[in-house]
Amino acid sequence: MKYESQKIAQNFYTFAVVLFLVQTVVGIIAAIQFIWPDVLILNFNIIRTLHINALVVWLLAGLMGATYYVVPEESQSELWSVPLAHFQFWATVAAVGLVILGYVWMGLNPQANSPIFGINPLSEGREYIEAPRWADWLIALSVILFLVNNVMTMFKTKHWTGIQGTLVGGLVFLTLMYLPGMFYTKSMVKDQFWWWWVIHLWVEGAWEVIAGALLAFMLMKVTNAPRAVLEKWMYIEVGFVLFTGILGTGHHYYWIGTPGYWLWVGGIFSSLEPVPLLLMVWDAFRTTRENRVVSNKLGLFLATAHAIFNFVGAGLWGVIHTLPQVNKWTHGTQITTAHGHLAFYGAYVLLVVAMIYITLPHIRGVTEYNQSRGYRSFWWMTVSMVFIVLTITGAGMVQTYMERLLGLDYVTVKGTYNLWFWIFRVLFGFGFLYGVGLFVLDYFRLGREPVTVASARFAEKAA
Amino acid sequence: MSNKGARNLFIFGSIFFFLIFLALTFDTMKQIDARSPEITEAVNEGKQAWHKYDCIGCHTIFGNGSYFAPDLTKVTRDKPAGYLKAFLVNPRKTNPNSAMPVLGITPSEAEKLVAFLDWTSRVDTNGWPPEPVLAAMRKAQTGGIAVYQKHGCASCHIIGGVGGTSGPDLSKAGARHPNPDWHVSHLKNPAGTVQGSAMPAYEHLTDDEMKLLSEYLISLK
Repeated sequence: MKYESQKIAQNFYTFAVVLFLVQTVVGIIAAIQFIWPDVLILNFNIIRTLHINALVVWLLAGLMGATYYVVPEESQSELWSVPLAHFQFWATVAAVGLVILGYVWMGLNPQANSPIFGINPLSEGREYIEAPRWADWLIALSVILFLVNNVMTMFKTKHWTGIQGTLVGGLVFLTLMYLPGMFYTKSMVKDQFWWWWVIHLWVEGAWEVIAGALLAFMLMKVTNAPRAVLEKWMYIEVGFVLFTGILGTGHHYYWIGTPGYWLWVGGIFSSLEPVPLLLMVWDAFRTTRENRVVSNKLGLFLATAHAIFNFVGAGLWGVIHTLPQVNKWTHGTQITTAHGHLAFYGAYVLLVVAMIYITLPHIRGVTEYNQSRGYRSFWWMTVSMVFIVLTITGAGMVQTYMERLLGLDYVTVKGTYNLWFWIFRVLFGFGFLYGVGLFVLDYFRLGREPVTVASARFAEKAA
Repeated sequence: MSNKGARNLFIFGSIFFFLIFLALTFDTMKQIDARSPEITEAVNEGKQAWHKYDCIGCHTIFGNGSYFAPDLTKVTRDKPAGYLKAFLVNPRKTNPNSAMPVLGITPSEAEKLVAFLDWTSRVDTNGWPPEPVLAAMRKAQTGGIAVYQKHGCASCHIIGGVGGTSGPDLSKAGARHPNPDWHVSHLKNPAGTVQGSAMPAYEHLTDDEMKLLSEYLISLK
């Protein structure tokens, strides 16, 4: 670590890691509710809201932490304002805490969400962006403070680099794309149309741009590869992400009451969305091959794993059901759930985990650390997630065939034919929880325990 | 390609595709209202109740949502409005197989929710959800089965594993009620024959249809 103010990243990482654990625990509860809906006093909708909101918040917190690390290093300067960063951190934690309490309260008393001055005080009742309108403004304010701090840091030295430019560009795009989710429309069709601007242009637009920039940063950091080569490929990757991803939004406009030309636009452009993700995988391997000096083996391993599972989860698992001819039968089934799980895990969970393993040793001031727990946690999480995704994919195939093709009732298929898939998913969920537990433990121990001989030898060899 | 060239390709290419996206959005916004029925005050209030109770936290609509409970886009096409209103207020009393909890939905909110769901069911969704292949094939039946299909009984009842779960399974209806007259009087006045039934009356069936359908039902053993 070159600059003292980069330490602020650690606050965000800690918040992210704790929420990751919360997300996994409520995820297992949600999985159990598929078998036993009344297992808890809180209904499935509240548990699922917690599961997906914790995910979004912890990934955003992780990306913010990563940005607070990357921008000073790229700008070659201390952060513009450390107190502002601390304020932004604690304000975010407080706002998120209030929103979570609101969800739980609503779960205990649904009537508490009755509108006050036309605004639902506890939940907007819109998937992923459930946070009520007052919280929307706090979230927007927090992100704007965060952006101002980083952009002012860049202006201090005006030492522009492609990585930080692309990173901040992705973050500005992310902020702007939160706004289409902040107004009410009477038409459910328009509601869903603008809602997809937020959801799709985040995860298949802005977030992938951020991922491209951070991948370039990580590869440079652990292999010492030349910046010019990495940045050129980064531009090409994130360029193709947006060329395909923006119009790829059309694959959400097939069946919601929008005109038929979206079947063509969405089908063609979203089919091309895996291309830039494959390019990122190739980029990771090429960089590793051409620059054999690896300073952080686990870090490089995780960065490459992120690229691979981004391609498999977001790319392949998406493209299989993106053509309108296929999607007509699979839309709204568990196939989508399977895609969602592997895409978020590969594209963003592993991205933040990799960023943590690459930057945290520098923040804690160590050059070597015990890597074995990190590998074990990776394998527990990844193998479990792959099997979770396979069980949900199986459930989705059965559902598509029996409900959509044959016409059996939704409830029959869910309760009878898919029962064993739900049971296996819970079991693999516990495997995933074990992996997350190891990761959280490792996060708090990294650099704070004596280095074992094996790990030290690794580091020596690399040096 | 130089780095500057790659950067310009990224920036100007992205702006180019975003402008196309904006143009399509503009055109779509002009067309949406013509593809959906008129939004009355009841439909809008129903939509607000939809958000208030976070229905999307379990259900899907237009195929988007939580995949935990049935899709509701076309629910009013398949289920009688009276059943839906009773169900929303007290789900498990209306259908003991249901997993839906009592959320405190008032009868007036239920009425508006049904108006909202009736609105979504009439939106032009480019043919989604498609009619299941088997259901389409079964239409070519004759006799009591044809009457059963014609009046959409399978939307709520199961026979031989196929059908909806809102009403009781009829696979052994003949064993439970072997008398055809019982079925006729039940079809004409369900709540008068089975206490607490949320099934709508089917008194508009012709005498021939009544006869065929009740004979079909008693044959199920």
